[in-house]
Amino acid sequence: MKNILKINNLSKNFGNVSAVNNVNLEVEVGSIHSVIGPNGAGKSTFFNMISGVLPPSSGKVYYKNNDITGFESYKLPHMGIAKCFQITNVFPKLSVRENVWSSVFSCAQKSKFDFLKPLSNFKYVAEETEKIISDVGLSHKINDKAEELSHGQQRMLEMAITLGAKPELLLLDEPTQGLAPEATLEMTKLIQKLSKKYTILLIEHKMHIVMEISKVITVLNFGEVIDEGTPSEVKESKKVQDAYLGRG
Amino acid sequence: MNKYTIICLIIFILLGPFLLPNATITEMLIFGIVAISTNIMLGYTGMLSFGQALFFGTSAYISGLILLAGFPIFLAIPIATLGSFLISLFVGYFCVKREGLYFICLTFAFNQMFYFIAYVWTEVTGGEDGLVGITRPEFIDTQFSFYVFISILFLTSLYLMYKIITSPLGLIFKLIRENPSRAEAIGYNVRFFKLVSFSIASTFTGLAGSLYVLIHSMVPIDQIHWLKSGDIIFMTLFGGVGNFLGPLIGVVGYIWLSDTFSIIWARWPLIMGVIFAIIVLYFRGGVSELLENLVKKSQSYFKKNKDEKYIKN
Ligand SMILES: Nc1ncnc2c1ncn2[C@@H]1O[C@H](COP(=O)(O)OP(=O)(O)OP(=O)(O)O)[C@@H](O)[C@H]1O
Ligand SMILES: [Mg+2]
Repeated sequence: MKNILKINNLSKNFGNVSAVNNVNLEVEVGSIHSVIGPNGAGKSTFFNMISGVLPPSSGKVYYKNNDITGFESYKLPHMGIAKCFQITNVFPKLSVRENVWSSVFSCAQKSKFDFLKPLSNFKYVAEETEKIISDVGLSHKINDKAEELSHGQQRMLEMAITLGAKPELLLLDEPTQGLAPEATLEMTKLIQKLSKKYTILLIEHKMHIVMEISKVITVLNFGEVIDEGTPSEVKESKKVQDAYLGRG
Repeated sequence: MNKYTIICLIIFILLGPFLLPNATITEMLIFGIVAISTNIMLGYTGMLSFGQALFFGTSAYISGLILLAGFPIFLAIPIATLGSFLISLFVGYFCVKREGLYFICLTFAFNQMFYFIAYVWTEVTGGEDGLVGITRPEFIDTQFSFYVFISILFLTSLYLMYKIITSPLGLIFKLIRENPSRAEAIGYNVRFFKLVSFSIASTFTGLAGSLYVLIHSMVPIDQIHWLKSGDIIFMTLFGGVGNFLGPLIGVVGYIWLSDTFSIIWARWPLIMGVIFAIIVLYFRGGVSELLENLVKKSQSYFKKNKDEKYIKN
């Protein structure tokens, strides 16, 4: 087994609150690895430490054996790590095309001065943009402003922006939050499809989603890992059941 | 820019000198550079700087001093512009560390600092009296040649700024305005690009300042005062931050109105205040958006009339 991401004793304290406490975790190349846990378990905090938004209180994050602990978040896409936010996070007044184009361009830049050249110089960026937009099923909306899309479509756009970076590792924070059941199903299918191309670290609250698609599941509660294993192992675990029923 | 705006711009450049006094029309072009460049930062990147007079004024002083020392204008303009660029990197480096209100306050504080230096350093800047006795070089001695000279620099600046905002850089600025944390997450160093935007705006503003000395052959100290920074924001918002040339309309309107009213009534800034309040309250897109909507409405009106005629025939 080869791991692409390795977390060593990662912790985060907010004053007296220990939001994440000594978490260890390894993500295998090509797998979907899920982190689940009840509300307030520390999932988002954990996610934000990996993705460079929050500096950890202690511990290390290794990506392909390189120490990336505390790297500024703008550096990560250039190394092959892209993330999708828990709340929809797009560029509202810009078109769907511009939203995705910007992301593709960011990681496709060949020289430091590419951003001063005419837009028409970047044919490959334009082609890649259209391909990604069609992959998430938004081709018919390509010239609409992001703010004009439905909530479900905005989630898809969010995903398209994330994919624009051509990542190797995808970090997803509750991609199905606030989606209607059909849209949730669509998103789950998309994630499954994406896992053929990318390694995915998925943060989720809803158990049934991760059960179907994950290879490994890590369960957090009160900032600590309480269990880890295959979906069926986790399903059987008494500790996990207790945590989710609020008896943990 | 569509072809109609370009035609309007050309008509304005050609007719302007016949309709307005030479000092007024050249001042409009010079402040046109200021407002359009300020809009790259304000409208495109979403950063409100209350310190742009710092760059305008400092550059005017540098250019004025070089001319007074007897050096040619072809040294004065580039050196003053380069000077504003360097100062903008220094000032901007600190300012872009903060956002929102704190950013505004920082730019304002730097403006005050530079104003104070100009105020007390009387041997160099002339203090309250300003820098006087600058002579215009011979080749731009006449009103006509001076106007041509300023127009060329104006159009060149416009062209360069247009290139910038239509390049990927312009799109990155909009990303920062729309959603800085997302821009960061897709790999853009937001603080760096904010500094770029700040520097572009300030450098062009500096260029304009270096030209300003030529109009009245002097640098009055109020060109570096924070009230001037307020004027710059006023002109930009008045014209409209929604499109590239919008601020130019604001400049023309502002300078024309202030010229007209200041003769009639000494308390004319009061009228400006009222106009500003109305714009901010009811026409967020400024005059340019107002015009755009009018054009759209009249177009659909004429189209409707035409359609009706068709039906009758
Ligand atoms: N900035 C902060 N300051 C103080 N406490 C915080 C902060 N962010 C999170 N916490 C606390 O840390 C704990 C973990 O929060 P976190 O948002 O990581 O949980 P979560 O598992 O993502 O929950 P959810 O399912 O609601 O998204 C909570 O007790 C929360 O109150
Ligand atoms: Mg969360």
